[in-house]
Amino acid sequence: MKTSKKEQTRIKERSKKADEKQKNILEMLKSHGATIYDDLDNGQFPKFSIPSRSVSNIVYDKKLRQYILGNNAAVRSSRNSAQLRSFTQLMWLAFFANRLTHEKKSSTLRDVYYSSQAFAIEFEDQSESDNIIVDLEAVTSKPREDFHIFPEERSSIFGDLNIEYTIPGYEGKTMNLSNHPDGYSIGPSLTTAELVDTSAEIVIAIEKGGLFTRFVEEQIDKKFKSIIINTGGQAPRSTRTLLKRLHEEMKLPVIVLTDGDVYGEHIAMVIKSGSANAAHLRELTVPDAKWVGVWATDIEKYKLPTIPMTESDIKRCYDLQKDPRYQDGIWKKELDVFLRLKRKAELEAFSKYGLTNITDKYLPQKLELAKSL
Amino acid sequence: MSSIKEKFNQISPSEFFYSNRDLAGFSNPTRSLYTAVREFVENALDACDQKGILPDVHLTIKAVEPEKPDPKPYILTVKDNGPGIDAEHIPLAFGTVLYGSKFGLKQARGMFGLGATMAILYGQITTNKPVIVKSSVDGEIQNQFEILLDIQKNKPVIVKHTTKEISKKGLSVSICLEGDYSKAGNKIRDYVYETSLITPYASITFDDPKGQKFTHTRFVKDIPPPPTIIKPHPHGIDVERIRRMIVESQFEIPTIDDAMIEKVRKDLGLSLKNLSFTSIMDKAKKKWKTLSRQVRVVIALMSFLKMDFEKLNKIKIEDLDIANKKLFYWDFGDSQSKSVDMDPESQYYKQLTNTVQGEPLTTFLTKRFQRIGPTTAVKFAEFAKFKPERRMGTLSNQELVQLSDSLQKFEDFMAPDSSCLAPLGEEPLEKGIKKFFNPDFTAVVQRPASAYSGFPFIIEMGIAYGGEIKSGGPHVYRYANRIPLLYDEGSDVVLKVVNDTDWGRYKVKGDPPFIIVSHICSTRIPYKTAGKENVADRQEIERELRLGLQFLSRKLAAYMSKRGQADMAKKRANLYAKYIPLIAEFCTELAGKKKEPNYKKILEENAVESKKSVEEEKEIENK
Ligand SMILES: Nc1ncnc2c1ncn2[C@@H]1O[C@H](COP(=O)(O)OP(=O)(O)O)[C@@H](O)[C@H]1O
Ligand SMILES: [Mg+2]
Repeated sequence: MKTSKKEQTRIKERSKKADEKQKNILEMLKSHGATIYDDLDNGQFPKFSIPSRSVSNIVYDKKLRQYILGNNAAVRSSRNSAQLRSFTQLMWLAFFANRLTHEKKSSTLRDVYYSSQAFAIEFEDQSESDNIIVDLEAVTSKPREDFHIFPEERSSIFGDLNIEYTIPGYEGKTMNLSNHPDGYSIGPSLTTAELVDTSAEIVIAIEKGGLFTRFVEEQIDKKFKSIIINTGGQAPRSTRTLLKRLHEEMKLPVIVLTDGDVYGEHIAMVIKSGSANAAHLRELTVPDAKWVGVWATDIEKYKLPTIPMTESDIKRCYDLQKDPRYQDGIWKKELDVFLRLKRKAELEAFSKYGLTNITDKYLPQKLELAKSL
Repeated sequence: MSSIKEKFNQISPSEFFYSNRDLAGFSNPTRSLYTAVREFVENALDACDQKGILPDVHLTIKAVEPEKPDPKPYILTVKDNGPGIDAEHIPLAFGTVLYGSKFGLKQARGMFGLGATMAILYGQITTNKPVIVKSSVDGEIQNQFEILLDIQKNKPVIVKHTTKEISKKGLSVSICLEGDYSKAGNKIRDYVYETSLITPYASITFDDPKGQKFTHTRFVKDIPPPPTIIKPHPHGIDVERIRRMIVESQFEIPTIDDAMIEKVRKDLGLSLKNLSFTSIMDKAKKKWKTLSRQVRVVIALMSFLKMDFEKLNKIKIEDLDIANKKLFYWDFGDSQSKSVDMDPESQYYKQLTNTVQGEPLTTFLTKRFQRIGPTTAVKFAEFAKFKPERRMGTLSNQELVQLSDSLQKFEDFMAPDSSCLAPLGEEPLEKGIKKFFNPDFTAVVQRPASAYSGFPFIIEMGIAYGGEIKSGGPHVYRYANRIPLLYDEGSDVVLKVVNDTDWGRYKVKGDPPFIIVSHICSTRIPYKTAGKENVADRQEIERELRLGLQFLSRKLAAYMSKRGQADMAKKRANLYAKYIPLIAEFCTELAGKKKEPNYKKILEENAVESKKSVEEEKEIENK
């Protein structure tokens, strides 16, 4: 295949964009490093300030429609012997992230934990190293993926989307994400890839792998011109990043389809407006994402077979009632109905009326409805 | 004071103590051997203290038949370089119960004239052997006695008495008694060891039955000033004590017989001359100041009778009616009772009322108590609702109780005179603690004198931490009147106060290496038993112990926090040394530099700081 000249310049531009991003990250790390270097050289104990992630400093920003960190910041000083260890750990992590970014290598949270041991940096366990990674995110206001650190969990994507890799060894290579029926796992190479073009008009995020497969089989991608994403329960951050990019770069609307219970409702909410424990990051939300079902009201409307809510389901309902984002709209309405019904229904419940009932009847209605939401 | 011969008094029979020997610490062969050691060592130290002699005490315990299993007879000998006892007093001092020279109000180890005799008694009961006492008061002649005790009669039986020439003063007592050294050995060695801590001016040696010798040489050359005998303090005196004091202060009208008349003549310097009544009175007035009380009374009587010696010989005083101011007498010549009026204005009238009705309250108080002057006495009389001139002899039982209560309640008496006490002193105590425990930190305190029930007492305390002290503290060393208390610690007031202390508050944590020394000095230690092992919790004593311990604990806390800071500084310096180079390494690569930053500066600065606090710590120790 011959690529046109126009196409070639576009590729160049794109890789320039990726380089740009990498350069920015490296510049930022360098300037942090230089400050600390100068402090030491001047005979001073280096220190920096880090936004407080305590509950009292997590506030809901109505304009951004997500949780963000307030103005409280703590100084972490290497003079303070109680902080010296974590200070050094964070320095090492910045140093390590710098190498990863330079070499365009990716690693997992677990890799980070083990890599530390080569540098006489002890982490008591992985949760301690995970915590330091969040510290780095908070200090730099960049998600860990920007430093090439990825979580283990994978979710997948399927649909007519052309991408172009930026990871080393694959630079310039392109791929269409509808070539393989099991879908493509959303890992570092996909999240860092350039999104080239798509014929899809909507993104459908589903909570469950089983339904994802059904949707592919039923060619929902073609029937409804959509990209299908399996979130695998609560959407991992890489998936949320990708959702955001699809929405912003490809101008695609995003709808979310979950089980008909309070956890499903919250999966949709996190895609839309983030979670409290990522309040220090602002690039993970799709404020315009829409939750289309399964709603509590659907349980009655579609006469779905149900199972009773557990104690913890009910407690979760009451907890969410206190969340500022659940104070109005369908969020509040559905939550109230769940609490009234004290019953829940899974996506698979539609199978009672035939395996394709969900794709033939339910989905079209909901897609229609989404336009007015 | 030391030149005056100690007074010997005899007070009560021994039978009671024979049946109550458990109380005195002679309950079984183990305890008895230990108690006997204590009694003789303490007597030796007491005797030396009282005469200001630096004590050399030698203790020997030898098994009569070493091969026999315990319990078995042992010969216990304690020899000292003290003043010794007069030959005439030896049988009484060692052969009767409650015969001693230490009843006066001053601090001593022995108290009731009971210890030595109880030990001897125990030896005699278990082995049927006499006590052997060798004593020399002049360093030339030594009296040797072998004495058995007659328990029924509380009387000594002298088995043998010899004398011999010698070159050293001092006394040695030797008894044979049933004992169990295999069990008592530890306590006895502890006792000797701990005694040498609180008696740093004494040299004590101990030859034990196994042929081991323990030597504790004096490490302080000055004896603390010996205590003086004093009058009682009014606080907490009881009715019985007052009654006895009144009896002592009262005076019988003497029988005017030939001997008495002869004495009056002699005292007036009129042995040979026969003067007229008026001349006798003149002479008496001139000599009044030098006259004895008895003689003064006779003169006073004569002044109203208006008789010379010859006439006086022929009468007998019948009654003295102070209320009606009449003096009744029997005239042998006329064989009838007669009376004369007494002029209440006459100074002789006052002399006689004093004699019959006792002293006025104010005089009684000022003369017989410490800390009461004339002004205080009058104020007190007002407080107690008595007339100041009220005669002591006329007080009813109920009034006596009222007086005794008021004496305890009146708050304006000065604190009791503590010159009767002989605390060790802060300096020797501290020296002792340092020598014995070689600690990192020592603090001592002597509390001001205080009193319980009219008995003065002084608390001395010491605290020490670290060094060679073993962990698991506080280890408490209890002393009372320079006696270590080793048994029955559970019920002791000192332990109570120590156990009540929340050591965490004073930064003492974990399994700390520290000791507490407490020394209670008093004219009367409120022991719970005659075995002298634990001190009862009198409120006043407990309070002083608490204050003393608090003071020391605060000092310890200050030391501990300095020590903690020094430790911290050291730890911090180590942390810096470990982590700063790493930070330097990482930021060098991050900043894209080749050469590492010069971080040595902050490391060095910090090393200096941590050294500084270590030095400060040392400084505190030295204080
Ligand atoms: N080693 C000694 N040197 C001089 N006097 C002594 C010695 N041991 C005992 N005495 C005298 O014998 C008395 C009786 O001793 P003891 O029965 O132990 O009674 P306490 O010690 O209670 O007075 C003592 O008060 C003391 O006067
Ligand atoms: Mg005695």
